[in-house]
Amino acid sequence: MTDAAALAAPEDETRWQRLHPATLALAIVALGPKSLNFLPAVAALGFTGNWLWIVPAVGAFLLISLLAAWFQWLRFRFLVGDDEVVIESGVFARQHRTIPFDRIQDVGIEQGLVARAFGIAKVGFETGAGGKENDASLNAIALDAAQALRTTIRAHRSGEAAAAVAAGAPDTAVPAPDDRLLFVMRPGRLLTAGLFNFSLAALAVVGAAMQFFDGLLPFDFNIFNPMDWIDIAESYGLDQWLLAHRWVAGIGAALSLLLIGFASGVAMMVFANWDFRLTREPRALRRTRGLTTRTDVAVPVKRVQAAILITGWFRRCFGWHELRLQSLASDGEKERDHQVVPFGKLAEIDPVLDEIAIARPGAEAAWQHSHRIVALGGLIGAVCAATGGLVAVSFGQPLGWLGPVAGLLIGAGSLFGARFHRWTDLGEQVAIRRGIWKPKTTLLPHASVQSIDLKSDFILRPLGLATLVFGVPGGSSLASHEIPAIPAATAQALRARILAARARR
Amino acid sequence: MTDTPAAHPTDPFAPEALNAAEGLHPVDPAYAKVLRIATALNLIPLAIGASVFDALLIRHIEGPYGLITALAWLIAIVTIVSFPSRRVSRWGYKIGDGQLRVARGWLFRTDTIVPFVRVQHIDVGQGPIERWFGLSHLIVHTSGTHNSTVTLPGLPSDLAAAMRETIRRHIQTDFA
Repeated sequence: MTDAAALAAPEDETRWQRLHPATLALAIVALGPKSLNFLPAVAALGFTGNWLWIVPAVGAFLLISLLAAWFQWLRFRFLVGDDEVVIESGVFARQHRTIPFDRIQDVGIEQGLVARAFGIAKVGFETGAGGKENDASLNAIALDAAQALRTTIRAHRSGEAAAAVAAGAPDTAVPAPDDRLLFVMRPGRLLTAGLFNFSLAALAVVGAAMQFFDGLLPFDFNIFNPMDWIDIAESYGLDQWLLAHRWVAGIGAALSLLLIGFASGVAMMVFANWDFRLTREPRALRRTRGLTTRTDVAVPVKRVQAAILITGWFRRCFGWHELRLQSLASDGEKERDHQVVPFGKLAEIDPVLDEIAIARPGAEAAWQHSHRIVALGGLIGAVCAATGGLVAVSFGQPLGWLGPVAGLLIGAGSLFGARFHRWTDLGEQVAIRRGIWKPKTTLLPHASVQSIDLKSDFILRPLGLATLVFGVPGGSSLASHEIPAIPAATAQALRARILAARARR
Repeated sequence: MTDTPAAHPTDPFAPEALNAAEGLHPVDPAYAKVLRIATALNLIPLAIGASVFDALLIRHIEGPYGLITALAWLIAIVTIVSFPSRRVSRWGYKIGDGQLRVARGWLFRTDTIVPFVRVQHIDVGQGPIERWFGLSHLIVHTSGTHNSTVTLPGLPSDLAAAMRETIRRHIQTDFA
């Protein structure tokens, strides 16, 4: 009883809000992919000869889905209180969730294509709780309401911070909204970035799709099956022409591949990063980007744990780099870090790094190398490939010679690559660099290290080596922060130094 | 908490030398019995399964009956008898200087340090076999993605509780 009374306090009744009615429109759009589930049922009706039932069945399906969406909309309400957000949802099982403003790390605003047509946005609250299902979101509220909500929450938090520092600096009663523009992607830059983003991934996707739908296609021709091409060429007498002009044909094929690669690279870059803006707000770095789906993400500066500087062997010659920040909050489902500079010169990246108090190692930094033993894994792979190839040759399979060749290449690559595992300690932070194909520099402040593993095994120990692995909040478990195969004494000293650092607040 | 390493070089493969040289405390030897029972519970059903397979299929196709059964039981018994005590002797821990240090393994040795101030929360757990021998395990959670949990098994229950209190006090004083 007391709970119910507390929940339904009279002055709260008027402040409860519903989602934007356009939620229903979003639900209709979402029905498109969902109705694919309905296809087998339609097919079954068709096969059994009950053609008359198909229209009523589809109608009933649509009606039930819409009714369900409408009930969900009706039973979803939220309240923005003085220092908390309350969300009630659920048709049959009611869920009541309270999120204090203090616990909201990050408010993200996302707009899909349909949402932009209606002027609504999805607001996501990142609370830092583990797991996606723990983060609440408001699917559709008006864009200005979403921005107002974010301003409210942010003001609450900065007000708190101002109160905390008020004792030291009384002049800053309310921090001035000094939103500075740190980085933008103009169309020219997008084009350059897209050209460097050369990718044949689109081709692979189409190929995979053709494989998948091979049995379903009405015509018996797979554009990714060379035999089909040879058949068609022979039937038109093209094979004679191709043999006569094979250089022309080869150059044409290469050119079209290049064109597809560049075009898909530019398209991906434009769709993802159109109108990219990175601004510095009082407490966060804020990023807006996207052509069809616009996202608006704020990365609280104090939550940044590490910076990752990525480049490629080719774009590096032109001085282009990419900057990602690893933060407690994750960036959507796919990526575990935040891309804050997709494509920029170091001179543009340095100001961004300054904002989060991380410095890039200068030219005078004393880089130390990992031991060559890190190439061992690649060498073992090379030996395996060569052995497998030779076994195949001994069974009379001439293609087996590919094995030793691949083995040689892998071995040479890993031996060469082993020289590029480098690290340096900059006093406040560690810089770890690795890779030749895609050089990647991780800038890891000592203070964001949560735990340190010192690993050695039966190969490293006789050589007096050890591997350091750092536990850092956020980021994926795959891309772990580690310094492989350095002298054990150095590793122990570095571990002691890092553990002495204070927590990053 | 005697940190003095062994003065004379001993056999580096001797388990006591390993922990002593790094200034670590060994876990309770009774943990070997826990591990042994757990290993037995895992392996004996597998060995029984292999015997049944042998009896039903290999005899049916007139293969070398008895080979698989003998091999399965041999491996199971060797694993149950010899491995647990070796594994236990390679666990080591040290608590002090505001940090918890846990080391484990020999072929692949991992030596983890978690500063108390980085601990998010602490669990003391006890399984049915551990309860039998009066042991507990301590689980320390950090916010790092790698090493989000660090487990230290084979502690007498009162020691585990005392360690939890120590860490808890440090967390409180840090935030006060």
